[in-house]
Amino acid sequence: MIAELAAAALMLQGQADPVTGADNAPRVVAALSQEVVEIRSDFAGAEIILFGAVTGMEEDDDLVVVVRGPAHDLRVMRKERTFGIWINRAPVRFENVPSYYSVASTRPLQEVGAFSALRREGIGLQHLRLVAPDTEHTEVRLGVEVTVSEIGEEAAEYRDAISRDRRRDRLFAETTSGVTMLEGGLFRANVALPPATPVGDYTADVYLFRDGRPVASGTVELGVRKAGLERIIYNFAHDYAWLYGLVAIALALLFGWGAAAIFSRR
Amino acid sequence: MQIYLPIAEISVNIFILLGLGTGIGFLSGMFGVGGGFLMTPLLIFIGVPPAVAVSTEANQIVASSASGAIAHWRRRTLDIKMGVLLLIGGSAGSIAGVQLFAFLRSLGQIDLIISLCYVGFLGIIGGLMAIESVGAIIKRNRSAHSAQPVSKRRKRRMIDRLPFKTRFPASGLYLSVIPPVVIGFFVGTLAAIMGVGGGFIMVPAMIYVLRMPTNVVVGTSLFQILFVTALTTFLQATQNQTVDIVLALLLIVGGVVGAQIGARVGRHVKAEELRIALALMVLVVCAKLGWDLVATPSDLFAILPAREGGH
Repeated sequence: MIAELAAAALMLQGQADPVTGADNAPRVVAALSQEVVEIRSDFAGAEIILFGAVTGMEEDDDLVVVVRGPAHDLRVMRKERTFGIWINRAPVRFENVPSYYSVASTRPLQEVGAFSALRREGIGLQHLRLVAPDTEHTEVRLGVEVTVSEIGEEAAEYRDAISRDRRRDRLFAETTSGVTMLEGGLFRANVALPPATPVGDYTADVYLFRDGRPVASGTVELGVRKAGLERIIYNFAHDYAWLYGLVAIALALLFGWGAAAIFSRR
Repeated sequence: MQIYLPIAEISVNIFILLGLGTGIGFLSGMFGVGGGFLMTPLLIFIGVPPAVAVSTEANQIVASSASGAIAHWRRRTLDIKMGVLLLIGGSAGSIAGVQLFAFLRSLGQIDLIISLCYVGFLGIIGGLMAIESVGAIIKRNRSAHSAQPVSKRRKRRMIDRLPFKTRFPASGLYLSVIPPVVIGFFVGTLAAIMGVGGGFIMVPAMIYVLRMPTNVVVGTSLFQILFVTALTTFLQATQNQTVDIVLALLLIVGGVVGAQIGARVGRHVKAEELRIALALMVLVVCAKLGWDLVATPSDLFAILPAREGGH
């Protein structure tokens, strides 16, 4: 048991490092059906398939696939009624919130992993780490460093608000049936990217859970990029902003003049 | 059919955008208004970020005001001198408005200010228009009885005491340059914040404050709007990168078609009834935006991007 835990710990540090030695140590290898998702003018969401193989998998092991999108800082404000009007107030800044976050697993998460393991790895919507550094400080309680929020109960409401907002656009998702085990330790998972998928670098982590703890994991990278005309226009707007502005005005004038010309001829 | 907007970064049904453009174009052709005050809230409603909606709408108004301005230029029904003064004020106002917009956005209050501006101005303009058109219809129905004697003598007002007076031959006015510049500035600021041309404020101001003859009012207003919205488009594009050219083109194409149909339909409707219909439309938009301000929102939290440092 102790040896197994030690191996698991080694595994976690080494991220399925092949030089860990132990013959029966489980390993996860994963790949994506496409490593780059291109956003073109007709982009209305995409579904990509993550597949792979697990070696040394045992009967009751579970797989969890976590896909994280590029992280951004957010400001969450609570609306309060002032003179009858709802006004955004009390901003709380959150750092490095993933713009996309989805979890798929072979079984419901609470059956797959222990609370502490899920929390440590940030697996699951309720365990996703949402850090608001301005309202928190760390202190040592009973010899353990813990994060204490200065806004108490409200912090949870702010975090829920982020999750709720993202779930509405299907940017945050958690499914209990997303990962399918096939024969011979092969698996596949569907990753749904909604129309609002932001561009950037994504990572997909595959965790092998045994007795509530992750014993192996593998990572694949996924890029979401603007492509074709969309990419050209976006780059144009940012790299040659003044020229872009002039072109926008010129096109508008052309259409306006064209309409006037057609109109006056009739 | 979905189309991905490269700057707004959302996927929208292309027919919704063309339909919006045509519908608003129809109304603007029929009523002779720009339509920005309807389009911007609708764009925000379908999920376009407010910053992109306001900037892109400025770009669309360049197109819709250009065709009108060209027509008035041909007929010489515009006061260039007055237009240039309005434009000087408007340019300064546009620059100020774009800065103010960026500042309010950093505070997380831009949506609120946009809504408040809309409710305030639409309420006032719609209310005044409704009262006036109802009055005009009542007057028309009993015009035989009461023909009010209109006093020809102009009262000397505050505005006539201002310095830097100059002649405006096209309008037949002798007036200080200060009021047009101030009005232009005010409208330019609002145009940048609200994503409108500002004609619905400028036209009444020209008639009631500057007392310009009505035949040159619309042309001069379009002349000023054309240049101010072009400047706003340029500033938003260079400073905030919020002009979505794909969105603008779709709205322009729809708008051009809609405006022509609207103008034709408008010719068969009586002016007062048309004005009442427009007033009601303005009031409906106003009421909807006002209701959204006071009604309990479905989600009490707003998720905004963190303040970008530097700007």
